[in-house]
Amino acid sequence: MFNANFQIIKTAMDVAMLRQNVHAQNVANAETPGYKRKYVVFEELLQESLKLQLSNTNKSHIQRVQQPVQPQVKQEEAFFYKNDESGVDIDFEISQMTANGLRYEVLSRLMSKNIEFYNIVLRSV
Amino acid sequence: MNEFLTLNVSASGMTAQRLRIDVISSNIANSESTRTEQGTPYRRRVPIFSEYLMGMGRVKSSGVKVTRIEEDPSPFRLVYDPTHPDANEDGYVSMPNVNVLREMVDLISAQRSYDANVAAFNVTKAMISSALQIGRG
Repeated sequence: MFNANFQIIKTAMDVAMLRQNVHAQNVANAETPGYKRKYVVFEELLQESLKLQLSNTNKSHIQRVQQPVQPQVKQEEAFFYKNDESGVDIDFEISQMTANGLRYEVLSRLMSKNIEFYNIVLRSV
Repeated sequence: MNEFLTLNVSASGMTAQRLRIDVISSNIANSESTRTEQGTPYRRRVPIFSEYLMGMGRVKSSGVKVTRIEEDPSPFRLVYDPTHPDANEDGYVSMPNVNVLREMVDLISAQRSYDANVAAFNVTKAMISSALQIGRG
């Protein structure tokens, strides 16, 4: 019934919220010795999934099942920013976090607009 | 994934930094204390931060926690003052191994980290509020 925008925006918002969680963890552990910075990989995985499209030219080919791409939390392995062996650059974390928060704001407004379109239709009945 | 867990992660950072400020305050306050309950001059205290996993679900988030407060084993500062009651036979007094300048620098660093956690908390809060506004026109 509803268009695909709902699902797309929801996924994007989930990823932004996960990113916020990871940024908060990095900021909280900015001074923990031996802590490895975490980050979320999603857009790259999405790109990758679009690239590898096997075509079905025959009916007997195995049908490709579209697996939904899931965001992954990864750890920065061999990089330490400071000599106390904590891998967090706090300025970078805060700026990325702010950008991410704004993106979330944009997405939530997009979602509101989408709902508004349906409201317009429903009201005019 | 629970967005309220994100708030708890930031709160754990704030708690840890606040405890660190407490420890620094006690170091500065005792920078001249030559007598303690153990009979030695005051030893500088250092909070040990460690990562700890929060949350109930499959995905855990790393909060931070002060697991121990340890004493700095470096030698005491010797100050020549034969009139001091705690002076040894050569006239030297063992003063605490606290360097007030260093403590001040640590204090600023702790305050900045606290502010960073507050900033993270506020961004999360703004995100949750904007999600609550969805569909309200």
